[in-house]
Amino acid sequence: MALAPRTIRLHGEGNDLVIEWADGHHSSYSYQYLRDRCPCATCLDSEPAPSWESGPLPMFGSGPLKPEKAELVGRYALQIYWSDGHSSGIYTFDYLRDLCPCADCESARENVQ
Amino acid sequence: MSSRISPQQVLEALKGVEDAAQQKDIVSLGYVKDIEVTSDRTVIVIEMKTAAPPKANSQLAATIRKAVESLGVQKVEVEIATPSASPPKTQSNLIPNVKNTIAVASGKGGVGKSTVAANLAVALNRQGAKVGLMDTDVYGPSVPALMGGKQEPHVVEGKLEPPVEWGIKIISMGYFLPEDEAVIWRGPMLHKTMQQFLGDVNWGELDYLVMDLPPGTGDIQLSLSQTIPLTGAVIVSTPQDLALDVAWKAIAMFKKLNIPILGIVENMSYYVCPHCGVREDIFGHGGAKAAADRLAMPFLGEIPLDPKIRVQSDAGRPIALDLNSPLAEAYQSVARALAEQVTRVGQEIPQIMTE
Repeated sequence: MALAPRTIRLHGEGNDLVIEWADGHHSSYSYQYLRDRCPCATCLDSEPAPSWESGPLPMFGSGPLKPEKAELVGRYALQIYWSDGHSSGIYTFDYLRDLCPCADCESARENVQ
Repeated sequence: MSSRISPQQVLEALKGVEDAAQQKDIVSLGYVKDIEVTSDRTVIVIEMKTAAPPKANSQLAATIRKAVESLGVQKVEVEIATPSASPPKTQSNLIPNVKNTIAVASGKGGVGKSTVAANLAVALNRQGAKVGLMDTDVYGPSVPALMGGKQEPHVVEGKLEPPVEWGIKIISMGYFLPEDEAVIWRGPMLHKTMQQFLGDVNWGELDYLVMDLPPGTGDIQLSLSQTIPLTGAVIVSTPQDLALDVAWKAIAMFKKLNIPILGIVENMSYYVCPHCGVREDIFGHGGAKAAADRLAMPFLGEIPLDPKIRVQSDAGRPIALDLNSPLAEAYQSVARALAEQVTRVGQEIPQIMTE
């Protein structure tokens, strides 16, 4: 079995999404960081990623970006419903773990490259 | 008053009581939940970690009573709670009150998946759990025939009320189709049906929702695995290599989707001739156990090939209902092993916290 989260905290203390993994590792993602890496087809196909935060009409900006809610997709992924209305990204656990921004994971990634 | 003993003394006495299955004393196993000593009685509450047969539970209760009575206490009451009735909870918005969802799957068709699913549902129910049975094989629904009965689902306040047969809530495409008609659908319709079978059926509170899957690794399997966080999958296979080779494919699919394999059941494991009593391993024997061992997967047990199972199944009265039959005991034993595995993997489902 691939690695899975034990708990997923949507609104961490540092305005972040915090995952505690089954192996004890902690990942803390800023909202913008996750939103920028949305794996859905629309976001992947547009370069640069569309600015959902304000939209084309800035006066309709919905305030600071945050996840409204999230649901498990089966047992392998997380679907995040963002405050800007976007929700088509399905973040697999493997993908989330690969994205972990902590210093250890960061340097591990650099070593691979 | 001076004759009253302390809960500490009772606990000391309980350290001498062993759980036969675990071969350890019940105190260090953490079974003792509560000890209450009042002037006229002593109540001991035991919470088992794994499901045990009722007989073993009553034996344990007797041993505990004897151990505590040896302290000179007169009225000793022992309450034993087994986890099969209250397993850990999964998380799904579609079926908020269903604690565990178990997919019964196979690589090949014809290995007895539906029969195993129906009998497992009955066996779990016999152990005190609330159980539903969902027939996800919309092309070849066989659960209504296996479970018997003439009831049909009907709509109550916008929700489908499932028929209840032998204490099990059941839904199946078979209830909605005239006998001589077939379902000829593509993927999206199947997906919608699965969602409705989950969300639009009044399952109520269930400990287990057993799902009979169609054979293979297709649309329905994918839909289910993506719609709800399945607790796990049970793989049914016959012992011969041909079937086991294909069973790997089902296992591979569940692994890819991160769904735990709760274990493998070997069906049609052997045949005992009713005339001469000689045992014949028609499809070979032990293949599934060997395969489970090789893959470090739990082996849940074997079910023999017996015409009685077929006769009972055709009559709509699952064999697991016949408490004195060794075949029912085989299913009970698989159900116990299954409940144990559910307890093991149940806690691993990620919890989402919004606060």
